[in-house]
Amino acid sequence: MRKVLFYAPLALFLVLALFLLSGLFSDPRERESASLNKALPDFALADLMQPQHIWTAEQLKGQTFLLNVWGTWCPTCNAELGYLSELRAMGVKIVGLYYELPRDPAFDAPFDLAVLQQDVTQKLAQHGDPYQFNILDLERSLALDLGVSGAPETFIVDADGIVRAHHIGDINPQVWRTKLAPLYQQWSQP
Amino acid sequence: MKQLITSILSLLLLFGATLLQADEILSFDNEAERQLYQQLTAELRCPQCQNQNIADSNAIVAVDMRQKTYQLVREGHDRAQVLDYMKNRYGDFVHYQPPFNRYTLWLWLAPLLLLTGLAGVGLYRRKQQLPLANDTQQQGLDTELDQLIERYRSKKP
Repeated sequence: MRKVLFYAPLALFLVLALFLLSGLFSDPRERESASLNKALPDFALADLMQPQHIWTAEQLKGQTFLLNVWGTWCPTCNAELGYLSELRAMGVKIVGLYYELPRDPAFDAPFDLAVLQQDVTQKLAQHGDPYQFNILDLERSLALDLGVSGAPETFIVDADGIVRAHHIGDINPQVWRTKLAPLYQQWSQP
Repeated sequence: MKQLITSILSLLLLFGATLLQADEILSFDNEAERQLYQQLTAELRCPQCQNQNIADSNAIVAVDMRQKTYQLVREGHDRAQVLDYMKNRYGDFVHYQPPFNRYTLWLWLAPLLLLTGLAGVGLYRRKQQLPLANDTQQQGLDTELDQLIERYRSKKP
């Protein structure tokens, strides 16, 4: 018993040190999304380029795809466009959820779809266009329902419209290889 | 010079005034709704920024969540309903008060275990020390000490 008591402080210290050490390498922004393994929330949002077309959750069923939350205002999103385009070329279906910034009526010009379309077309021509189509989330309502905290974020949605994975931050070759590709493979199996 | 300072100061005041006006001005039906809104925005955590509540943060998502909270409160939802709404979307992370479940069990259990452990060690050590006082060895030492004191006193003139 004396020996046990003698080594107890050392043991406590080691446990604490290990605990704190693991904290050094953990990502404080990493957390499990509440949307995981739930169906996409119901929505009816216009296509960014063809606003007369309204997308609903039902229309997105049938094939596993990446739902990529992005905006031209977000530098990290622009940076990942190139690699996402490569993924598209490899046969990955990517749908954009355009995350529009809120407008302050006192300072900002009112929303103009034509200006946004021009901006998007220019950015996609510059960096690459990974998207089959873009859904315009003007009020960020679908983003709120999905628990999006900012851009870029990406969800993997399976053929039945169930959200299967969530990634905060950009997609680069390493993230794709180690984290998202296995999940994408897993949930694309028929 | 004085005039310049006055004009700069008045300009600053002017800008300050417009900035204040740009802040959110929300109207509520009654004081209870206002308090509920203030309480909720103070309790809900911004998912984008580290350790800020949504009342404090101007991140896009915090602004949206404030708006949603305002809308839900105005629609007559109570505290639990608004919290559920947010937790369904952003997880338990979004509320500053952690729920009691199998992941957070240790938050409550660890201090209790530590206290009982400390009390246990304390009791054990007391038990060890008490019989030591009645030890024959200790008694021997005591008599030896008495003798030494006696000898020292008898040497004194």
